[in-house]
Amino acid sequence: MTVVQEIDSAITPTTDGEIAIINLESARRRSWTRFFADPARDGIAETVVEHEQLTLQFVGDVSALDRVALLATQVAQAGMASARAALIQAQVASMAHRFADARHHLSQAEIGGAPAADVDRLRLNIDQACGNDLDGVLEARRGMANRTQDLGDLVALGSLLADLRDFTAADRTYKEALRSYLDVSPFPIAQVCFQLGMLWGELALEPDPALAACWYRQAIAVLPMYTKARVHLAEICYAEGNFSEAEALLRQVLAIGDPEVDWRLADVLMADGRFEESASRMKVAHSGFESLLERHLLAFADHGAEFYAGSGNDLRKALQLARVNASNRPTLRALEQAHDIAISANDAASAFEVESEVTCR
Amino acid sequence: MSDHIDGPRQVGDPAADLSDLFAFISPENHSRTVLAACVFPSAGTSAMFSNAVEYAIAVRWVTVAGLGDGAKFQPGEEEIRFSCRFDNLKRATAGTSPVQSGTCTLPDGRTLPIVVNDEKGTSTPDGVFRIFAGLRSDPFYLAWLDPPTRKGPNLLLHDNVLSIVIEFDTRRVLDPDKGTLFGAIAETVPLKPNVIGQKPPRIDWVGRPEQTNMRLGNTAAGPLDLRDLWNQETPFAISADLKPVFHQRLTASLKNWDMRDGVADWTPAALAANVNVFLDDFLLFDVAKPTTDTSHLEIEKSTINGRAYQTGGGRTVNANVIDILVTWMVNRDREFIQGGATAATKPGTNAFPYLASPNTELQMVADSVDLAATPDAVWALIGGFDPAWHPLVAKVTMTGSGVGQLRTIETIDGKQIIERLDQSDTSSRFYRYTSLSGIPASNYTGALGVKPKGDGSVVEWRSQFLADNQPDIVVKAIVSALLKTGLASLKQRFGAAK
Repeated sequence: MTVVQEIDSAITPTTDGEIAIINLESARRRSWTRFFADPARDGIAETVVEHEQLTLQFVGDVSALDRVALLATQVAQAGMASARAALIQAQVASMAHRFADARHHLSQAEIGGAPAADVDRLRLNIDQACGNDLDGVLEARRGMANRTQDLGDLVALGSLLADLRDFTAADRTYKEALRSYLDVSPFPIAQVCFQLGMLWGELALEPDPALAACWYRQAIAVLPMYTKARVHLAEICYAEGNFSEAEALLRQVLAIGDPEVDWRLADVLMADGRFEESASRMKVAHSGFESLLERHLLAFADHGAEFYAGSGNDLRKALQLARVNASNRPTLRALEQAHDIAISANDAASAFEVESEVTCR
Repeated sequence: MSDHIDGPRQVGDPAADLSDLFAFISPENHSRTVLAACVFPSAGTSAMFSNAVEYAIAVRWVTVAGLGDGAKFQPGEEEIRFSCRFDNLKRATAGTSPVQSGTCTLPDGRTLPIVVNDEKGTSTPDGVFRIFAGLRSDPFYLAWLDPPTRKGPNLLLHDNVLSIVIEFDTRRVLDPDKGTLFGAIAETVPLKPNVIGQKPPRIDWVGRPEQTNMRLGNTAAGPLDLRDLWNQETPFAISADLKPVFHQRLTASLKNWDMRDGVADWTPAALAANVNVFLDDFLLFDVAKPTTDTSHLEIEKSTINGRAYQTGGGRTVNANVIDILVTWMVNRDREFIQGGATAATKPGTNAFPYLASPNTELQMVADSVDLAATPDAVWALIGGFDPAWHPLVAKVTMTGSGVGQLRTIETIDGKQIIERLDQSDTSSRFYRYTSLSGIPASNYTGALGVKPKGDGSVVEWRSQFLADNQPDIVVKAIVSALLKTGLASLKQRFGAAK
C-alpha cells in the first residue's frame, strides 16, 4: 500500500473544513455573548475556553490567548464557585504555557473540591508538557487510551510516545486514533494528521520530509485553514526549493496574524530573490513576535527562540528565550533547543549549564 | 435541556447535535402537517449544516396496544422518511457570503432542492411538500435552575438554531385511512462509511423532549453517562441487550423526579407504565385531532391514566414542553409547575416556516486605557457607580444604594439615561450594570473595571446590547463615543502610562 493509499484509507469522511471553521467562529462568538450576559452560569465559561482553544490550535488565531486572559479576569469577578473559577484559570494558564500558574490554580481547584477527573486530566497534560514524571504519565496515558479508545486519549499517548522517541509506537498509536474515529468533526482528524506530519518531519531522528508532507497535505485537505499545518508544509516546500507552493500555502493564512507566517513567507520571498517584499514581511514578523512575547512570553518562547536564532538574527535574544522556555518546561526538546542555540551563539558557559541540566534529568 | 448538547459526541460537531423535534397540524392550513427538527444549539448567525451528515425525520404508524398500567404504543414497520443532505459552501464571487444548498429526499422518492436560509422554502410542483432549512430563533425554552424548586430565566434567551421544517399534505403523505396516530423521530447519521467500511453509528436522535438530558441523564439516577449510548441506538428498535440498562435508568430517574417535591404521586405500577412509555421514545401525534400549545404528551398521559386520548398530542412550536413534562414527572398533573419563563425568546408564528426569524447577535463595544496612576487612585474616582467624572455627564441623581442602585444621568446634550447596578466588587475594582432606558438598545449591559498594569493601571470598559430600531452601526457609534470620551478624560486626569 502506498503512503497516499494508506492515508486515504485511514481518513473518515468529515464535515467540510470551511463549514467547520465557520461554525466554530459562529459558536465562539455566541459563547462569548452568553458569557458576558451571565458569566457565572454553569458551563458557559468552560465552553468559551473550549472554543478559544480550538481557534488557537486550528486557526492559529493567537489573539485567542488575549481573549481567554480577559475571561480569566472576568471569571474571578463573576462570583462563581472558587473551585470552578480556579479550574478555568488553570486551563487558561496552561493554554498560555504558564505552567507554574496553572499548577497553582489547579491546587486551589483541588482544595475547593473541583471534580477529581478534571483536575487529574489537566495535571497530566501539564506534567506531559513539562516533561515531568514521564514514566508515571505514560502509565496513566496507556491506561486511559486502553480504557476509552477515544481519539483524544490516543493522540495524547501518541504525542508522549513521540516525546519519548518511540516513533514506531507513536505512529501506530496515531493511526489507531484515526481508525477509532466515528464522528464527523474534522478537527480531530486534522490534528492527528498534523501530529503524524510532525512525527516524521521534525521529531524522528531520521526525518522523512516526503512522508511528513503527505500528512500535512492531508491535514490541510481536511481543514484548509489549519495554519500550523500550512506553515510546516511550507517549510518542507521551501527546503525543496518549491517556493511558489510555499508562498501560496502561507499567503492564504497571512491575515490570521501569526508572526510565524510572516517570518516563513519572508524567508521564501528572500530565497526567491524578492528582497524588498521579504524585508517588509520580516519587519512585520519582528514586530509581531515582539508584541506576542511581551504579552505571552511563555507561550511563544520556543517559537521566538527559533525565530531569533534564524532569520530574526539575534542569537543572544534567541538563547535568552530558549532558556526561558527550557526553564518553564524542561523537556528534552526544549533543552536541546537551548543547547543548540548556545553553541551557535558561542556561549560555552550556557551550553555547559544546559548540558548539566540534561544530565541531571 | 430538550435534546441540546446531550452527550460528548454531540459536542464534537454542533451542526449534528439535534436539539428538538416538532410535529403539529399547520395553523394556516389544517389539511397539512408540519414536522420540524432543530440542530446546532446556540448557533451563531453564520452557522451552516454539515455536509457529512444525513438529517432525517422518520414517521411510523402507531397503535395503542395497552391502557392504564399496561400502557403501550406499538409502532409499525413501515416508515415514512424525509432525508436531507447539504453541500459544501459556494460563493457567487470571491469575497461574497457563502451560500449552502442541499436536497431533501421525500417519502415518494422525489428529491427537492433546498437553499439554506431561503425563508420562502421550496415546494414540489404539485404543492404536496414544502421545505425550509436555515437559521431560526430557538423555540425551546427552559427556565429552571433546579426543577421544580429553583426557577430561573430562560437559559436559551436570544439563542438560535439551525432548523429543517417540512410541511406536507396530510392525506397524500400520511394516508390517515391506515391509521391516524403516528410516532416521529429525527436523527443525524454520518453519510459515509468509516475506514473499515462500516457506517458509523448515528450521532444523535430525538423523539420526545428531554429523553437524554433530564431522564437518562439524571445524575441522581446513576453516575454513568448513558446518553451517547442511547443516541447510537436505532430509533423504533432499541436493542434487546441494552434495553434493560435504559429501563433501569429510566425507572430510577422517574422515581427521583416523583420525589422532588417530597410527595409520592406515582404508584409503582403507574411509574412502571410511565417508564415503558418513555422507553419507546417517539413523538406521538394524531392527525385526526387538534394539536395545540397544551396538547403535548396528552396522548401518553391519557393512555397511562386509562382513558382514550382527546387531542392530537404532538408538539407545537410554542408548547411549554418543559413545564408540561416536569409537572407530569413530579406530581402527575396534580398541580401545574411553572418555570421562570412563559415563552421562548420569540414566539413561533402561524405561517410557514412557523419558527421565528433568527435573533440578531448582541453587539459589543470594548475599550481600555493604560494610566500612570495606581488602581486604587483611579478606582477612588470611578468606582462608586456615580459617573459624575464623565465629561458627557451634566447631572446625576442616585437612587438607593448597593446592588439595585439606580443612576439617572442627564447628558450635556439633554438626554436622560437610567442605569442599574447589578454587581459591584470593590476588592477587585469592578462593577456591572444594566441600562434601563436612554440608549436606543435593549439588553444593554456594561462592565467597568480597573486592574494593575506595570507601575500604573488599566481601565477596561465593555458594553453589549441589541440595537433597538436603529442600525447596529449607529448604536455602536453612540456607545463607542461614550466609552472613548470617558476613558480619554481619565488619561487627561491621571496621565498615560509610560
